[in-house]
Amino acid sequence: MGLDFGPDTGTDGNIITTTIDKVVNWGRKNSLWPMPFGTACCAIEMMATLASKFDLSRFGSEAIRFSPRQSDLLIVSGRISIKMMPVLKRIYDQMPDPKWVISMGACASCGGVFDTYTLIQGVDQFIPVDVYIPGCPPRPEDLIDAVLQVQQKIASGASPKGVEAIL
Amino acid sequence: MNEEKEVEEQSKPLVLEKLEANHADTLLAQDESRGTVVVVVRKEQAYAVLEYLKTDPELAYTYLVDVTAVDNSQMESELIQFDYARFMVIYQLYSYQGQCRVRVKVPVHENDLSISSVTGLWRAANWLERETYDMFGIHFEGHPDLRRILMPDDFEGHPLRKDYPLQGRGERERFNFDKQNV
Ligand code: SF4
Repeated sequence: MGLDFGPDTGTDGNIITTTIDKVVNWGRKNSLWPMPFGTACCAIEMMATLASKFDLSRFGSEAIRFSPRQSDLLIVSGRISIKMMPVLKRIYDQMPDPKWVISMGACASCGGVFDTYTLIQGVDQFIPVDVYIPGCPPRPEDLIDAVLQVQQKIASGASPKGVEAIL
Repeated sequence: MNEEKEVEEQSKPLVLEKLEANHADTLLAQDESRGTVVVVVRKEQAYAVLEYLKTDPELAYTYLVDVTAVDNSQMESELIQFDYARFMVIYQLYSYQGQCRVRVKVPVHENDLSISSVTGLWRAANWLERETYDMFGIHFEGHPDLRRILMPDDFEGHPLRKDYPLQGRGERERFNFDKQNV
């Protein structure tokens, strides 16, 4: 959290100093609200990650929201067709800033083995992606790792890709 | 030898017997594939045959499992057998009563892609026929709402035809992502 103990005031270290950004980021990092966008097999692994065995709530991300307006982490897990891409874009646009995006699996990241007439070859052509997860499908541990990477990114004070794109 | 023949005759499926008795003129071919009776019928009489299969009280193929098609343009053997009909529209039926399946295949020529819709017999045919229209361009006459179902409305072409390139004709690049109603 980047804490420093305050000057010795005789209060046995009960005063700490920090910056407001650090406190806010600490809160954001530990309470990511994911918006699942599961369109194919990867979504099954995402569900497993959220369920009790792998239990994403250990990392403060158990509050899954199916309304983009209440979430700040978009998990794109699965194939996105050209017909679905406008929907995904709309959902991304509806999420309030600051927001982060995880592209889960080979299909979301680059089209995977589906180099076909209907499939988007990587959602990052249309929405900014912060963390990519390789694999087909990635294991739940990989998704947890990605969430932890997003957390690290938030803690470090770095802007989400979406903000970088505007700046 | 004789005994064997008898056994064979006894095991002839009821559906084939009845079709031969009632619709012999329309049967182009018959076959058996992994326990499923396969019949090929003329397009003109296809509706009548399907209606017969559904409504005959002994057969009662009341469940339409699937409607789909095959593009045989690269299957020389099939083309020769069925008068160079490019497409084969396929109906999969199941009878709860007889607990058996039948597959009805209908050859469709490329220069006349229309075929009667069976939405009047099975309401389930609605979306299945739309999919077959979307993917192969078969026109189902009498369908209440023959629109694309999988591809976007402004998509051109029918992607499951064998002459459609796998990576498309540039739709991925040309697709207008802003003008879509979402
Ligand atoms: S990457 Fe593999 S598991 Fe994930 S959606 Fe694609 S095909 Fe399915």
